[in-house]
Amino acid sequence: MIDVQRLRVVVTGMGSVSAAGIGVERLWNAARTGQSGVGIAHLPRAGSNRVNLAAQVKDFEPEAFIERKLLPYCDRFAQLAIVAADEAMAQAGIGRDHRLGERTGVILGTAVGGITTIDDLCYTDLVLKARTDPLSVPRIMGSSAPSHIGMRYGCTGPTYAVTSACASASQAIGMGCFLIRSGLIDRAIVGGSDSSITALNIRAWETLRVLTPDCPRPFSIGRNGMVLGEGAGIFVLESEATAFARGATVLAEMAGFGTTSDAFDIVRPDVEGAANAMRIAIADAGLVPEQIDYVNAHGTGTVANDNVEAKALRSVFGPRLRELAISSTKPIHGHTLGAAGAIELAITIMAMREGIVPPTINWLGPDPNIGSDFDPVPNEARRRPIGAAMSNSFAFGGINSCLIVVPAP
Amino acid sequence: MDVDRSKLAEEVLEVIITEGKIDRSKITSNATLESLEVQSIDVVMILMAIEEKFSVYIPIDGSIAEAKDLTSFVSSVVERILEKRD
Repeated sequence: MIDVQRLRVVVTGMGSVSAAGIGVERLWNAARTGQSGVGIAHLPRAGSNRVNLAAQVKDFEPEAFIERKLLPYCDRFAQLAIVAADEAMAQAGIGRDHRLGERTGVILGTAVGGITTIDDLCYTDLVLKARTDPLSVPRIMGSSAPSHIGMRYGCTGPTYAVTSACASASQAIGMGCFLIRSGLIDRAIVGGSDSSITALNIRAWETLRVLTPDCPRPFSIGRNGMVLGEGAGIFVLESEATAFARGATVLAEMAGFGTTSDAFDIVRPDVEGAANAMRIAIADAGLVPEQIDYVNAHGTGTVANDNVEAKALRSVFGPRLRELAISSTKPIHGHTLGAAGAIELAITIMAMREGIVPPTINWLGPDPNIGSDFDPVPNEARRRPIGAAMSNSFAFGGINSCLIVVPAP
Repeated sequence: MDVDRSKLAEEVLEVIITEGKIDRSKITSNATLESLEVQSIDVVMILMAIEEKFSVYIPIDGSIAEAKDLTSFVSSVVERILEKRD
């Protein structure tokens, strides 16, 4: 019988599209140097939104990357996923010349799938009273991104979308890791993608009152909310034996995954649920809290999330908290919802590979509610060897997901 | 200016009472949001009504999150409205 705890899973490719541009390299450079991609949102149609900030992917020309005949079937969230997947697969050294077959699965997260297409559909039908897009259904479905990527590389193994709001990508990556460990598949294309920057969506978020009208500043005094972003992050995960057999370069080991549900409130976060997800992930990696050097926090910049996350971290790490570097990179790439866990894991892996902790930018000073034993790596990157790193994702609905990476074995 | 501010505070208080479904008999000088049974979802509805009436977006975080009693809640809303007007 396979010991699921013993089978190592490694990362052999990474790809990303974000407000920093196309590619993990641009994302990492922006995170490391504190270059924010947040700006005045360019919206397809004006609406009643008052907040006008977002971290958008600028000047994205899908025709440059995706076959013209395929584009009508792809909502923007699927386009971003395809471009990120092509980067990840190229890095992994896997081409499209032969079909990968049933030992490769595709599991991607998305919080809102083809919501831009729904927005267009409503506008065209209800306002313009014009002919609607006959391909709306295949564009809207949240599983369209994994299906397109599966078709692109001939992956006939388990293929599905995970939708758990802002924990979607993190859970998708974790589930891909578990499927490989279980022996069901040898390789998984995992990650997440979301694109929802329309006037209607910004309005929906701002009426919940959680968007900042001016500037996102996680863990800082004076913070007043989050900023929406869009993007995709994709990884190629393989069993160590599979990667070794084909001579692949290993970027990191996907060492631990922990996921829990608060079963408490649909919008309010809970300390215990978040703390337990971290504990489970650390134990799953075979580590103890003292071995974690860097945490890429969920850190949305809302009062509620950041206070609860700080308490949860304190509960897990105790005195180790003082020595832990914790940063939120959301002011760089925005809150990308169902892509957040993937985009932030890419930054976490780069931080570990380069021994540089990216900063929490826009930080004004310590918040007494966060505590003085909490180091958010304010405003400037710091050199630090990282032996193990954690990426946190906490979602509306109370779903928590944490991933642990360690250097390549 | 001060007359403006107190008139504005009265108008804001009216919106809070209506949208927060607050029992007027419970309003005292040191009433807290808790003693008035105002929950976070009520605050979201109050801020929606404030936006409709005064055309100002106020996030639930920031000074609103710090306001524990009715008086400071009203004054932080009034501040945000006046900031927007300036």
